[in-house]
Amino acid sequence: MATLQYILKRLTLMIPTFLLVMVIIFLLVRFLPGDPALAIAGDRASDADLAAIRDRLGLNEPTWVQFWLFLTNTVQGDLGTSILMRTEVLDVVLQRLPTTAFLTVYAVGLSVLIAGPMAFVAALNRGRWPDTVIRTVFQVGLSMPVFYIGLVLLTFLAAQLRWFPVGGYGEGFVSHLYHLFLPAFTVALYTSAIILRNLRSAIIEVLDAEYVQFARAKGLPNRMILGRHVLRNALISTVTLLGLSIGNLMSGTLVTETVFAVPGLGRLMLEAIFARDYPLIQGLTLTFAVLVSLVFLLTDLFQSSLDPRMRLS
Amino acid sequence: MKRTVMVAALAAATALCTPAMAQERGGTLKFARYDGSRLIDPIYADRNPDIWMVGSLFDTLLRTGADGSSVVAGLAESYSVSEDGLSVSLTLRDGVKFANGSDLTSADVVFSLDRARNPDLSPWAGLLGSIKSVAADGNTVTISLNNPDPTLLSMLATFNTGIVSKAAFDGAEGATDQEKSAAIFASASAGVGSGPFFMCDFEQGASMKFCANDNYWRMGSDGKALPYLESVDFEIIPDDATRILKLQAGEVDVAEFIPFSRVSELEADQSINMNLYPSTRIIYSPINTRDTRADGTPNPLADPKVRQAINYATNKEALIGLVLQGAGKPMTSPLMAAATPMSTGETPLYSYDMAKAQELIKEAGVEPGTEITLTTLAGSADDSTIFAALQQMWSPLGLKVNVEQVDGATRGAKNRSGEFDIHTYGWVNDVNDPSQVVGWLGYHPTRKAVGTGWNNDEFNGLFEAAAVELDPAKRAEQFAKMQDIYAEAAPLLFMYETPFAVAVSKSVEGYVQTPLGNNIFDEASVNR
Repeated sequence: MATLQYILKRLTLMIPTFLLVMVIIFLLVRFLPGDPALAIAGDRASDADLAAIRDRLGLNEPTWVQFWLFLTNTVQGDLGTSILMRTEVLDVVLQRLPTTAFLTVYAVGLSVLIAGPMAFVAALNRGRWPDTVIRTVFQVGLSMPVFYIGLVLLTFLAAQLRWFPVGGYGEGFVSHLYHLFLPAFTVALYTSAIILRNLRSAIIEVLDAEYVQFARAKGLPNRMILGRHVLRNALISTVTLLGLSIGNLMSGTLVTETVFAVPGLGRLMLEAIFARDYPLIQGLTLTFAVLVSLVFLLTDLFQSSLDPRMRLS
Repeated sequence: MKRTVMVAALAAATALCTPAMAQERGGTLKFARYDGSRLIDPIYADRNPDIWMVGSLFDTLLRTGADGSSVVAGLAESYSVSEDGLSVSLTLRDGVKFANGSDLTSADVVFSLDRARNPDLSPWAGLLGSIKSVAADGNTVTISLNNPDPTLLSMLATFNTGIVSKAAFDGAEGATDQEKSAAIFASASAGVGSGPFFMCDFEQGASMKFCANDNYWRMGSDGKALPYLESVDFEIIPDDATRILKLQAGEVDVAEFIPFSRVSELEADQSINMNLYPSTRIIYSPINTRDTRADGTPNPLADPKVRQAINYATNKEALIGLVLQGAGKPMTSPLMAAATPMSTGETPLYSYDMAKAQELIKEAGVEPGTEITLTTLAGSADDSTIFAALQQMWSPLGLKVNVEQVDGATRGAKNRSGEFDIHTYGWVNDVNDPSQVVGWLGYHPTRKAVGTGWNNDEFNGLFEAAAVELDPAKRAEQFAKMQDIYAEAAPLLFMYETPFAVAVSKSVEGYVQTPLGNNIFDEASVNR
């Protein structure tokens, strides 16, 4: 019951956030030089044509009228019609959302699978060679730009060795896993480097804690100490970090989806900005805001289940 | 040694077999594009990724001949122009069908042409402004004109006069013509066009598929109907490097818009034909010719001598080397690519001459240290190179060149408002006639001579006269005169022409991109 109340309260608190996001993005796109009419009609159109298109799109209305329409329509679940795609923004977003969601979850999953065991190995061998090797390798992953690592992986693993396809999304779950492996792995290299650093030092800290020494003294088997006491306590700060990096990952899809030719929300956002597709930019920004907020909420819920001291209030 | 001989013998045997082998039929061509189509409709296509695909789905009454400038029979098997030039009658080919098997009739032609010339619908209606009415009688279509129009026959071979099915539009959902068109497009209907292909699958912004039209009327070299291919699969891959990798990995057969810096590397690849198709693409930079800048300060570039000076001071060959790795040539006509009909000029315009440039700048009395801003596209490697080169090339003139990087939409807005000194730009002809590009670059009423503000009465008068001149020789004279005037006035920094760089797998034959940019799959085949 307390949990439900907490969730409701958090959801209510999100409303002002979304309102703020809407105001900012609405004004931001209108401050950009160039407008959708120009993007539709092209450089060659006459000024009269442009004026007519602006009129048709309602861009000649006062700004506050436009915002009021945006707000009231959004509340009713209508994000408007994309100028670029000539279809409902909501339809386009829902069509692309699974691709980006798949890629993000895949990348997070790989990050955890890579960083988790490595962090344990490094922490348990603190200061010895496995620790040094792991930290050096992941430092490289952290210091190279994602698009560059992506291109290197594409060149060797896809174009030359042909182990993976160069781009695309595929059809069906297994095919998605196969097609999105390289983009997910590329992103995971970066994210796992961040997680590894954090998790490693958290584990080290916990290993030195008195309750772990007590558990050892008590004669508990090593597996139980690591699983029940060390991992659980070390995970608390890592989960927060993971939640934050999912937010990062979503903005990162703008680059990843372009390099790996994945038709998801990130690439759509890029196209929308270049075409000054106001409704689509607004709809996508709002979608990202909702997704990130939900991820943060989930993170907090997960954290409180890990640590009873973190009361839901 | 022995192995080499055997390989040679095998190669010889294969070479002997080839002519006897039947034309390869069937299969799918996989094509990696830089950008996707949004709406492929003859009249609503307004971006190159749309325009360049129209011809695959929609046939036109006439076609451009193999020489690139003549017109030959298309859906109309013959045509005749009346003596006064005020009427054109065309006889339709018998038995032509749309891709879904329904007959293509003269009623469809009237519907399509009326739609194409309706200024409320088509942004291209101006190209058909001379048409008074279109009437049908049995298999004959008669086009009556308000005034003689030297471009009409070329226009009937241009994408915007592609023939659409009246029945498809009558039956489509939507209140307006554009809504109907969008609905037909979204449903990937076979019943709307009679081109060699019809669109059988479409995912906005991601992929697109063309399937062969079994009812297409043109015959292949094997005596059976075109096209040879069963389908063409398009995938949108905006990233240049990924597009190339995709081709090298054999996942696609064609990758378009290869950056010129990668051309020589791909030329060395044994499995790839690196094609540089001749184009009508010109890269130039409009110069603001107004007396004052948008902010009210005096504009040094208002003086034609200064514009001539920077043209002389620009070493085009060096630019071509730097930006295109040599795969281009300097502009020879100030108003159009050399491949455009009626272009004049055999030698590069404003060949590099620093002494002359310095003399001109002195005559104009430009103070050393005068600042000029070059507006370039952010993220464009070509534009960054151009800026760095021009900054150096113009410094002996005492000009200080600053850069302002913007995105495409901002650049377009600046061109329109006149808030620029010089900015990079490009053009590809959409029609096989100089009137479009000349109207764009020089005729002030169109769009203030590509936003430069240049306004020359003699030029404008010649342009209007050429629009109704039926005598090809006289018309060519008028265009020659316009080119002379424009070159002298130099409202542009004249730069270079570039080919279309398309990398094609060796297994593909017969694919071409025309000088207008159109992607032609009619006679393409894959041999796997």
